[in-house]
Parts: sequence; structure tokens; C-alpha cells
Amino acid sequence: MTTIDGSAVRKLVVACDAGMGSSVMLASTVRKQLAKNGVTVEHTSVQEIPGDADVVLTHAGLADRARGVAGGTPVVPFNLFLGDPAVTKVVTAIQQGQTIDV
Amino acid sequence: MSDVDPAALLAPDAIRLAEQAADKTQAIRICGQALVDCGAVEAAYVPAMLEREESVSTYIGEGVAIPHATLAGKEAVLRDALCFVRFPAGVDWDGAQVTVCIGIAAQGDGHVEILAELAQILLDPERAEALRAAESAETVLAMLTPAPEDTPEPTREGER
Repeated sequence: MTTIDGSAVRKLVVACDAGMGSSVMLASTVRKQLAKNGVTVEHTSVQEIPGDADVVLTHAGLADRARGVAGGTPVVPFNLFLGDPAVTKVVTAIQQGQTIDV
Repeated sequence: MSDVDPAALLAPDAIRLAEQAADKTQAIRICGQALVDCGAVEAAYVPAMLEREESVSTYIGEGVAIPHATLAGKEAVLRDALCFVRFPAGVDWDGAQVTVCIGIAAQGDGHVEILAELAQILLDPERAEALRAAESAETVLAMLTPAPEDTPEPTREGER
């Protein structure tokens, strides 16, 4: 169990295997949702998760690999590329400055 | 980056509207071949697409899948490109029914805006239905071309 302080998130990273398809798609929707919150949203491959990320979203099947790269940064796994409740929870926490457990 | 020509990424001959596939493996091969045929990838890209599908499905909802390669497959990419392959009879995709596959080959971010537009379409059930029903390349391209007011991306220049 990890805690995310939504008000402290400045960079959110969406990671997938190649960083060319699924992560691009999800990052684009999250970027739109967080456009007013001053949060940078990037898409990358799992191997290239940047060290300054505050939270990482990745597909459940890649979460272990992502955790290995992300160090202590919270990794939130999701199953659906559009409309996943875990993603919605993180986005809402950032929008409203809430602290959540993931 | 914001003035990427959608028609250059999604070439007319990479839009195939009446394909048939017995299963998702065959569907992915057809997408891969479309990318090979338009000169976007080397043949080695296709097995990398199948490999990626085995680790994580590229089904994204609303009857649409976005097959693409693993990180290793990027080496076989010759230029950023998309293909749009429609299977009117549908393809079983691990229990989901896929009508449209948008195959992706990319080394850079030139295709990001079209995928962003796709995401917006799929979040709107009526537009998603229209995309699945598209019967001309012109319609497909027009739907996937981002509207000018639809791409305010203040953070885009900061991307690395």
C-alpha cells in the first residue's frame, strides 16, 4: 500500500512496453483531464520511466517491471485503457488535492 | 510537431475497410502487412506485434484495438505511420468483438495527436459507432484529424 498526495503531484507518467501506443492513448486523455492542474503528463516505455515522476500509471501486466524501474515512486496498475476506475481515482485525487491509498 | 499531416501518417493505401480475419493473430498480421506495404516497417515488425499482444492485449474498448510492437520492435520502424483496418464481420479479441484495428508503427511522437483524437472518439459512444461504420477512407481520415481547437497542449513543448 502506497499513499499519493494529489496536491503534490507535478509529473504523472503513463508507461507501457514500447511507449508508442497504449500509453500514448491514456496519457492524452489524462493530460486533457489535468490541463488545469499544472501537472505534466508524459508517456514512456516502462524502461524509461523518468526519475522525477511523482506517480506512474501502467498496465497491470507491466506493474512489476515498472516498480523495478520507478524505485519509490508510486505505481498504479490499471486494466482498461479507457475509463479504468484506478486511473479515475488518481485523476480525481490530483484535481481535488486529496490523499489516497493505492 | 503540431502541424503533422494526418494523411502522411495514415496513408490512403493503409486504410483498408473490408478485411476478414479468423482470429486476432490473423488480424494483427493483416495490420502488420498494411504497415509493411506502405513502407513504414520492415517485415520483422510483424512478429514483434504478435509478441506484444501476448504480453498485454492492445484492445482499448468500443470495438477497437491498436496493435503495435514491443520496444524491441522499434528497430524495424522505418517511419512513423498508422494503418486503419476494418473487419466488418468482427474479430474475437479475447472475448471482445473488434471491428477496427489501428496499427501503429512509431519511433517518435508524430502520431500522438491522432491517437489523442481516437481516444476522444472512443469516449463518445456515438462517434465510436460512426468510426466503426466508416465506409470511406475520407471519412476515416476526417474523423481522426484533430480539430484545431481540440489540441491545446500547453505542456507539449516541455515533453522530452
